[in-house]
Amino acid sequence: MEYKDYYAILGIDKSATQDEVKRAFRKLARKFHPDVNKDQGAEEKFKELSEANEVLSDPEKRAAYDQIGKGYQPGQEFRPPPDWDAGFEFSRGFDDDAARAGDFSDFFENLFGDAYRQQRASHARSRFHARGEDHHAKILIDLDDAFHGNKRVIVLKVPELTEDGHVVVKNRKLEVTIPKGAREGQHIRLRKQGSPGLGEGSAGDLYLEIAFKDHPLFHVEGADLYLDLPVAPWEAALGGKIKTPTPGGTVDLNIPAGSGQGRKLRLKGRGIPARPPGDLYVTLQIVLPPADTEKAKKLYTTMARELAFDPRARLFQHAR
Amino acid sequence: MASEILNDDPVLTLEELCENCGLPAAKVTAYVEEGLIEVRGEVVTEWRFSEASIVQIGKAHRLEQDLRLNPAGATLVLELIARIEALKAQIRRLEKSSP
Repeated sequence: MEYKDYYAILGIDKSATQDEVKRAFRKLARKFHPDVNKDQGAEEKFKELSEANEVLSDPEKRAAYDQIGKGYQPGQEFRPPPDWDAGFEFSRGFDDDAARAGDFSDFFENLFGDAYRQQRASHARSRFHARGEDHHAKILIDLDDAFHGNKRVIVLKVPELTEDGHVVVKNRKLEVTIPKGAREGQHIRLRKQGSPGLGEGSAGDLYLEIAFKDHPLFHVEGADLYLDLPVAPWEAALGGKIKTPTPGGTVDLNIPAGSGQGRKLRLKGRGIPARPPGDLYVTLQIVLPPADTEKAKKLYTTMARELAFDPRARLFQHAR
Repeated sequence: MASEILNDDPVLTLEELCENCGLPAAKVTAYVEEGLIEVRGEVVTEWRFSEASIVQIGKAHRLEQDLRLNPAGATLVLELIARIEALKAQIRRLEKSSP
């Protein structure tokens, strides 16, 4: 078991006042709250912060922690002294909101585990009922899944509370149905697959937020898709029909004559088949043919000579 | 064991929404007043909510509890996050299309 430096986690000195502990925790909690911070690792960090705060914000637990922690470095192998916690009682108890079932570290469990488990077990035995915590995770799907629907098996590590209040981690396989028309940011719910409830409280639910794997062609935003379509200068200038890939199959896209670089064309209803269906936005990217042959050079020279075209005309208008 | 997608159609009554969120009606009504979730129907008995509201309310409620906010504060946070996410998506798209 690794020693956890709760002071380092909150970024404060060992001599910090209780007010400083509070300020440090609140500042970091806002930054790393998993509903605010979507970065991977934010949830882990938030749990760590909550655990550090649970101990350091309570003078009794802080004193106990300080006493056993003398001389330890973070990450160092830690063994609590054999008679540790014999003389401690924690009047404030443990915050059930902060301590989401089984989320605190082994280190915490070992130091405060007995007192903590007693509280949980007494809750479980008493008439205290609470619905279990909902769980949240992301599920990465393919664009193709949203067009045709799919079934996926996911494996979850689920902490389960035994009758005496111990937490054991079990693997659970769940089948998830991704319906046709699933959009980015939508949620799939699996009932009763969250944390178990306390007492006769029912288990929480599991929510999976849908995100799309990167696709080599299409960019997904909500139900809309974006595609960069390379075109030759003459295709953009003269217009015409161009074969364009869409997830639902190839279509003939009509390019209006006189289209410029970056022109956006909308293919209505060609996005994800949600209700209402999304659109497909095509952005024209004009690609210049290289002047790497005699023939190509000649064509460019002819254009330079024959066309009265000054791409910088406007620059000099404004520069005077 | 079934998995279900949470849709945007207004199908849930206030009572059903509360049951799904595990929250009292007063709390959910406070979020309706803030405009956190969309509501169909004029009077409370005719109110209908989408299943997607369940997730929004869950987020707002966690923010309130963990960061000591009120419904207005939590709603503001979620609106700002939605704007940041939209801007991020736009940046990713523009980065992808720039050569």
